[in-house]
Amino acid sequence: MDRRTFIKRGLVGGAILLLGGGAGLALAPTKEQATPAGPLLALEPRGFQVLVAVAKRVLPAGADAASVAQQVDSLLSRAAPESQKDFGRLLMLFENALPGLLFDGHVLPFTRLSPESQDAVLLRWRDSKLTLRRTGYQALRRICLAVFYADEASWPALGYHPPSDLNKMAYDDSKLGTPDALPAAAPEAKDGGP
Amino acid sequence: MTSLRKVRASKSVIDGSAASSDLDLKADVCVIGTGAGGAVTAAILAQAGFDVLMVEEGGYYTSDDFNMREKFSMPHLYQEAGTRATKDQAITILQGRAVGGTTVVNWTTSFRTPEDVVQRWRDKHAVKGFAYPDLVPHWDTMEKRLAIEKVTLESLNLNNRKLYDGCKAMGWDADTLKRNVHQCLQTGFCGLGCPVNAKRSMLVTMIPDAIDAGARLLFRGRADKLEASGNTVAKLTGTLLDAEGRTPTGKGFTVTAKRFVVSGGALNSPALLLRSGLDEGPVGVRTFLHPVIGSSAIYDEEIIPYEGAPQSAASHHFARRGDDVGFFLEAVPWYPSLAGGAAPGFGAEHLTFMKQVRHTATHIAIAIDGFHDELPGGRVTLRESGMPIIDYPIPPKLWETFRFAQKRLAELQLAGGAKVVASLHDPPLEIRSKADIDRLVDAAPYEPSRLPVFTAHQMGGCAMGDDKASSVVRSEDLRHHRLENLYVIDGSVYPTSLGVNPQLSIYGLSHLMATRLSQLPK
Repeated sequence: MDRRTFIKRGLVGGAILLLGGGAGLALAPTKEQATPAGPLLALEPRGFQVLVAVAKRVLPAGADAASVAQQVDSLLSRAAPESQKDFGRLLMLFENALPGLLFDGHVLPFTRLSPESQDAVLLRWRDSKLTLRRTGYQALRRICLAVFYADEASWPALGYHPPSDLNKMAYDDSKLGTPDALPAAAPEAKDGGP
Repeated sequence: MTSLRKVRASKSVIDGSAASSDLDLKADVCVIGTGAGGAVTAAILAQAGFDVLMVEEGGYYTSDDFNMREKFSMPHLYQEAGTRATKDQAITILQGRAVGGTTVVNWTTSFRTPEDVVQRWRDKHAVKGFAYPDLVPHWDTMEKRLAIEKVTLESLNLNNRKLYDGCKAMGWDADTLKRNVHQCLQTGFCGLGCPVNAKRSMLVTMIPDAIDAGARLLFRGRADKLEASGNTVAKLTGTLLDAEGRTPTGKGFTVTAKRFVVSGGALNSPALLLRSGLDEGPVGVRTFLHPVIGSSAIYDEEIIPYEGAPQSAASHHFARRGDDVGFFLEAVPWYPSLAGGAAPGFGAEHLTFMKQVRHTATHIAIAIDGFHDELPGGRVTLRESGMPIIDYPIPPKLWETFRFAQKRLAELQLAGGAKVVASLHDPPLEIRSKADIDRLVDAAPYEPSRLPVFTAHQMGGCAMGDDKASSVVRSEDLRHHRLENLYVIDGSVYPTSLGVNPQLSIYGLSHLMATRLSQLPK
């Protein structure tokens, strides 16, 4: 199979084919990371554990990886069914020890590696010549970080303090530019607002 | 607020998620989608006396809901909760999904379609049904209605000012731009839904106009299929979704109408035609994305890139490059979740990047696709679930355009005083001097998932034109070539990309075409 055909098979399907197997070929079971705080809407229980392990390395030290994984699950439940399935497969592939053995020389699933080895795996996926591995790394990394930084708890570290409740100052000029236009009413924040 | 709240609470507004049984609706005109195309069309036809029904998959959120938090806006106001991407995942797609469509979350930048682009459609894409001067009065009207005005140089935040000054220092054209805002408080949260209704999106203008003129609106109703018999569409069938838009309620709806207008935007409109088996002609083909790359720069002074109008300056200096692909330069606002996903690396490295935010300006190059044979755009097809997916493999010529544009972004940022410029490659290129630019950028990889590529502008897929082989709707009135009562009015009808942010192009074209439609017998 040439590279072109490989890429055409899609993000994860092709990778599983090339790497010689799916979740069933793992040499050791996934290590439990956290108990989900609520029912999972999009992920399988094992995929959730892998995601927590990924989030622990991707997020700043001390972040609540389990909570982020739960929020990723919630966000994914609004994505296309195909995307949900692909993401679940990606997590299994990332966890799987056999491709790790073939490509990276480690025999343990991702969840059982030391933090240093986990970072090394992430970097190998980041720098891989295989588009599918880079894409997988970016998908895992981005969704964890996007969800983490959507949460206000992450903002003080950045010095980011956005206003809140401005919608209480909302005004209605919806008729502006029509024959029914009201006389222009100044918004409450006359000095230009925040 | 009384009048907008009154509209939201009006009996003409039907919440599909709350329906306890299937809905059978009738109208003169059924408009599917309530963004820049659908809302304008619905308002004009309703004002002309047609019985109009708008159908919208998204939720009806208002300034009462817009809390300046991506935790709310991403899942509620964006397609696929912000996870929409091209088939190979190389391009992230930002597209709205709400009553008001993408106009609820866009960054308010307003350009008329460049005259040479309209002329090119006439010359190369058999768009004979209108010429540039035909659009002008319609833009005039929409600009007045949406308070679209050019901003002053003094109003620019530093994120935009650095773009403007950097371009000027390089000797390039740059200018302030027009925005659709009135009494803007400069909160900077346009992309998350304007919390104070200063942004004159469809949500606060043409949709209330349509309702005031007697139109009805069904929201949380997903259009599944147009049922055609012979040369007419008889019926629309669809699915009602729960209040969160996540899952079907188990109830459905049908709309019987004399005419149907498809206004779902550049991915959802072709998808609706494909689901309906109306795949004659180039449906879903030549879909353009204005693919975007970015460059972040650190300055000594504080930039605070999240305060002030997100976009207020632009440079079209490199928009026309002959045989090379053109692009234009703009600024992007910093929203924590958007930035968190785009910033490179993970762990401590990523946190360091994020912590520099107050001193960071981010500028983008927006590639103008569809004008070169090597950039034929993407193709929209259906997934198993019936949802659209766009296959847009980035061609080598576009990667090389990005490489060229990356150098220009670094140049303007250094010229504007940046200490260090970082491409968004993972790991990033760190450019500290002019001498670094060619050396680092020439050696950098430009291929999928080495750097983030975005699109906030989706165009094409149901091209207009008078050559049936290369178009889906005719250009005089955007009517389907075969189906006599089916129209497509939205950004999907463009035969190329626009080379400017699309909203005002769509407002003007929709206003012209809806005005023509309003002359038809009821």
